[in-house]
Amino acid sequence: MRKKGLSLITALSILSALVWLVGLAWVLQDQFFADGKSRQAETMQPDTPQKQKDNSSSAKKLQIAAIGDSLTRGTGDPDGKGYIGYLKEELAKKTKKEIELTNSAIKGQTSSQLIKQIQQPQIQRQIKNADVILLTIGGNDLFRGGQALEELDSQNINKTEDAYLSNLKAIYKEVRSLNKSGIVYHVGLYNPFSDMKDSKTTSGIVRKWNYDSANAAAAQPNIIYVPTFDLFELNVNDYLYSDHFHPNKQGYQLIGERTASLIRFSEEDQK
Amino acid sequence: MNKLVHNELLKLFRKRRLFVIILIIAALVPLFTYAQYQEVKTTREKLGNVDWRTQLQQEIVDTQNRLSSSRMQDDWRKYLKIRLAQQQYYLDHNINPQAPGAPTFMRVFVENSIDLLLPLLVMVVAADLVSSEASGGTIKLLLTRPVKRWRILLSKYLALILSVSFIVTASAVLSYGISGVVFGYGGWGMPLLTGFSTSGEELVTNNVHLIPQWQYILMEFGLVWFVCLVVGTLTFMLSVLLRSTAAVMGIMLAALIAGAILSNMVSSWESAKYLFMVNLSLTDYISGMATPIEGMSLGFSLIVLLVWAIAGLVVSFTVFTKKDVY
Repeated sequence: MRKKGLSLITALSILSALVWLVGLAWVLQDQFFADGKSRQAETMQPDTPQKQKDNSSSAKKLQIAAIGDSLTRGTGDPDGKGYIGYLKEELAKKTKKEIELTNSAIKGQTSSQLIKQIQQPQIQRQIKNADVILLTIGGNDLFRGGQALEELDSQNINKTEDAYLSNLKAIYKEVRSLNKSGIVYHVGLYNPFSDMKDSKTTSGIVRKWNYDSANAAAAQPNIIYVPTFDLFELNVNDYLYSDHFHPNKQGYQLIGERTASLIRFSEEDQK
Repeated sequence: MNKLVHNELLKLFRKRRLFVIILIIAALVPLFTYAQYQEVKTTREKLGNVDWRTQLQQEIVDTQNRLSSSRMQDDWRKYLKIRLAQQQYYLDHNINPQAPGAPTFMRVFVENSIDLLLPLLVMVVAADLVSSEASGGTIKLLLTRPVKRWRILLSKYLALILSVSFIVTASAVLSYGISGVVFGYGGWGMPLLTGFSTSGEELVTNNVHLIPQWQYILMEFGLVWFVCLVVGTLTFMLSVLLRSTAAVMGIMLAALIAGAILSNMVSSWESAKYLFMVNLSLTDYISGMATPIEGMSLGFSLIVLLVWAIAGLVVSFTVFTKKDVY
């Protein structure tokens, strides 16, 4: 018995030694000498079907796609939810539908970076399938971490705004061409510096910025520009995080509630 | 020669070393399987979404967010950038890198055990091949036979090679068999990307190509086998040099663990790349991870390991044939 076991193990070991040797040889061949032959495989595989799956279940689900910058990311909220977290909670109170949220926002993103991001096929897929699209953008174009407003050079600011507006129009257009029916909520800017010495000038710039963005939004169907300027106008310090730029928990709650109040459900979907 | 090898294998078999090692693997694999299963489950729950593309997209966005943080070490940032490019490639080509299944588990298991777990198990077998004969005194009986000394040592070495192969096979079979109960046995044909290499901060993708998972796994196990052989050879050398098995184990253990620690902190000590223990993670080259030290590549690591192994063999044979036994 024991003898048999031993010769079995010996045979098995010899066999496996050979197999692993083949594996090792294959590594050398594949990593060092492979060129044309294996390259064919690359064109063979990509883009298998399996894309249609998601649409069938959308009747029972509310799909929300969030894109943009740190506001959508939730920077400054100790719970990390951001306004979309509170918005989701609010919506969950109102509807029976299952809410599916994808947050693709990137901290510090400017409008020109967002244009690049929405070229990615996955982001496009999310936008395509979404019933609601949430967007914050422009804060980084305008404030650039607080430097631009210190210069307060109106010519400079006009230049940034022009660039921003043309980017914004391109973003709107791209989103609309991907998704004709979903409603876009573009959450507007507030002035984090409204209690500082130049608040008159800075508020004026932000107001104009918001006004122009709202105009651009109105040019496309179903894009809602959600104002936040008024929310932060008084008591700005109570709603800002310690970086004095991003909202804190209360600030995000305000934005979330306001945006959530704009989203309505048909009677059968209500709670 | 056959008889000698058979004799050595019989000794190993009697000592029940291989049996214990199989038990250890069989006990650990369910543990890892459960951990992996939990991980898959929690990520699914967290996202409330089963679609892996959404999940991968989230990972990409998270990585991008981490990259935008300013307080980050340079090598970590580099690693993240490579990871990002790779994830993006998977996404663009509709390849799910995490598709659950026993082969995927095998792959993850072997990638994570190549630099410590499997070498340790091999060490258990190799450590007392010669030293136990020396400390037990049986070496005299062995050497009084009318057989040349180098043949005796060679038979021991061949027995070692065979048991290393056996251990690698056992870990492959066990990890496949046990994890398949949970994840299912399919997934051999899934295409995977390989051929990533890094030069500086760039991910070089001009040699990137797809291979089916079974080939990927076969390649990785080939590398594991090679690493285990090298570690086995070095342990064997120590076993010839030292009389005490405990000392052999202690030195090897220290070297292996030092390797694991060093890989995490040698990025600026360049000559450390000639140490064998920082070169053990060969599978990282296949999957395209960043190397611990600039300038390391698969070919480099293979050669370093080979040189160490050959040196170990030369030392073992010269010492064993020359040394006085009393």
